[in-house]
Amino acid sequence: MSTLAAVDTVAVTAIAAEVFDAMIDRESGLLTPASGTSMTVTDPLYAWVDLGTVPASRLQLTTDVGTADDLTRAFLSMGEAEPVAEADVVDAFGEIANVFGGNIKALLPEHVDLTLPEVSRQSPSGDRAVLLNETRLAWRGRPLVISLYTI
Amino acid sequence: MRALVIDDSRTMRRIVADMLGELGFDTSQAANGREALDMLAAGETFDLACVDWNMPVMDGLEFVAAVRARREWRDLTLIMVTTEGEQGQVVRALAAGAHEYVMKPFTPDALASKLGLLGLLPAEESI
Repeated sequence: MSTLAAVDTVAVTAIAAEVFDAMIDRESGLLTPASGTSMTVTDPLYAWVDLGTVPASRLQLTTDVGTADDLTRAFLSMGEAEPVAEADVVDAFGEIANVFGGNIKALLPEHVDLTLPEVSRQSPSGDRAVLLNETRLAWRGRPLVISLYTI
Repeated sequence: MRALVIDDSRTMRRIVADMLGELGFDTSQAANGREALDMLAAGETFDLACVDWNMPVMDGLEFVAAVRARREWRDLTLIMVTTEGEQGQVVRALAAGAHEYVMKPFTPDALASKLGLLGLLPAEESI
């Protein structure tokens, strides 16, 4: 029976570094552990995928809307001031969650299904969700939170 | 050479198409396996298809199996481009008829390396 309970911050951070270095920044060192608790997400955008573990689990990314815009620009190799469409942000931020989810899934001992990614300004993980792990990172000095839940 | 990029994420379609364009491919895009099959059935021809696994409507594995079931598409080279990194899933993809496999995240060099192994790099990129 697969669960995400054994997936720790070290593993999540390593996956995050690989994803950002290879596909978003195309260089290393721009994603770092967040220092202290001073970095908070004030205008959150959530992206998530659910995994068919028992019980079911969720990989959720949270960042500020403005940071999601800049993530999208970086992912698509756009200029810093280039306008970015909301649909592109939803697609790009969702795809980042999808890549994370697939790599987390690959750590599990058994095959589980992965849902298609979803993106919302409303948190998808309500009172019934149980937080298993939270990894707080800083991308170019701005907060990115990676959370694993059972749902 | 012509390549078809099949992914429900338009971000990934654009990124993979850009990578292939840099390598000298003319690219087209489809948002799922069904859309890609329709393009093939309409007579469009490609040397390579880069196929995501997890897509709505028709996923990558179904697409690979459908292509392999048709004799007239037997020359199409298929690369799975996906997050499905489990060994069992790799075996499933190759058994279904995929030629190679690239796991997200990947770099342009990683994709070029796979294409080189398949003899699919345009001549100037192979030198």
